[in-house]
Amino acid sequence: MRKAAICAVGLGAMLLGSSPVLAHHSGAMFDSSKQVSVTGVIKEFEYTNPHSWVRVMAPDSTGKIVEWGFESEGPSTLMRNGIKRSALKEGEKVTVVCNPMRDGRPAGALMRVTKIDTGEVIYFRGRPPAAAPAAPAAPAG
Amino acid sequence: MGVLKLAACVGAALVACAVIVPAAMAGAPAQRLAPPPPPLKKNYATSWEEYQDYLKDAKGGTKHTFAQLPDWSGVWTHSGGFALDPSMPRDKIPDMLTPEYKARYLKKIEDVAKGIEWDPLSYCLPAGYPRWLLEPFLRENILRPEQAWLLTEQLAEIRRVYTDGRGHVPDDEAYPLWEGDSIGFWDGDTLVIHTNNLKANQYQRLEPDHSDQVTTVERMRKIDANTIEDLVTIYDPKALVKPWRIRQVFSKVTDPPGLRINHWSCEENNNVVKTGAGTSDFVLPGEQGYKAPTTGAVTAPK
Repeated sequence: MRKAAICAVGLGAMLLGSSPVLAHHSGAMFDSSKQVSVTGVIKEFEYTNPHSWVRVMAPDSTGKIVEWGFESEGPSTLMRNGIKRSALKEGEKVTVVCNPMRDGRPAGALMRVTKIDTGEVIYFRGRPPAAAPAAPAAPAG
Repeated sequence: MGVLKLAACVGAALVACAVIVPAAMAGAPAQRLAPPPPPLKKNYATSWEEYQDYLKDAKGGTKHTFAQLPDWSGVWTHSGGFALDPSMPRDKIPDMLTPEYKARYLKKIEDVAKGIEWDPLSYCLPAGYPRWLLEPFLRENILRPEQAWLLTEQLAEIRRVYTDGRGHVPDDEAYPLWEGDSIGFWDGDTLVIHTNNLKANQYQRLEPDHSDQVTTVERMRKIDANTIEDLVTIYDPKALVKPWRIRQVFSKVTDPPGLRINHWSCEENNNVVKTGAGTSDFVLPGEQGYKAPTTGAVTAPK
């Protein structure tokens, strides 16, 4: 998944402008200035055109379970970034980061998914934190 | 992915983002520009005049056999972002447009800044040519001596370029087409294309509109193992004050190896709708009008 993360650097930058994704639609419905984190359980990974969607069941502030939808790229773009259909499975516990809808409905432009059980982070868009600089080599002798 | 590839990726992306930010219209940071395309050897009054001059220079064109055709095989994608002319500062674009199309363009940019934006692609309509030049996703080129097929993944659009010496369809049979009517010839390893009979459309979401009078001349050539260059002159007397010369580039997709182009259906999972205010929105699951994906099982098994 490292490859996905690196490729997402270029992809993410290309997506700037009004649209956060290589979309067949405007990104006007998303608030790209905000990031929202949602923790829940994967209901479905729709690996489809024109866009893929990750559906997650998550509790709201009252504890009621709400279905969230997170939009990403279609299969060929995800495939180029190393994200296969098998990347997400029904029932997996995840934390999703997205640019949310402007109107507050439970959806957003998908940025990354962290699997709670394994800690694996899948970068659908955006970039991983810069790697820590390597420790200086010990002096010879 | 090596450091160099990553750097190239980031560099291309920076160019791309620099040229698509609408705020660049209003004193935003300096835009990083691509080099301009090489100039024409002279000014032409029409695209047909330019095309005919190339045909004359090529002495009627190169008659390739299958074995002699250039190798444009593989999977390709557009490079360089979404600007029609990556060499032009955004604040110069209005100068290219007639008053009507300048006003339309400036209104579009103003609306986008207000969050009002609608793309006809959201109706699952084709991108069409010349927008075809700027669309992302995958591409494939099928070359035969008498035809070139230029395929894009999105909506499985195909540009058919007839290289068998035929002319355009007669005027009484012509009508506006998404991909237009393209004829061409080979000048050595360069595919020269003349396209007319196009629909009025937009070059890209944040780019100007063009009229149905638009015609183009293209010179497409594989300039190295992983790059196809398309030098395009756009003529549109209704929308442009002068022909617009642009350069677009397509890059070979080598990662992952063996990547295939599959059918790209827009209808299988499209819940984008146009609002009363004219902008874009989703219908979400549980809301009236939501259409569930039609592709059957979409979730990987447990």
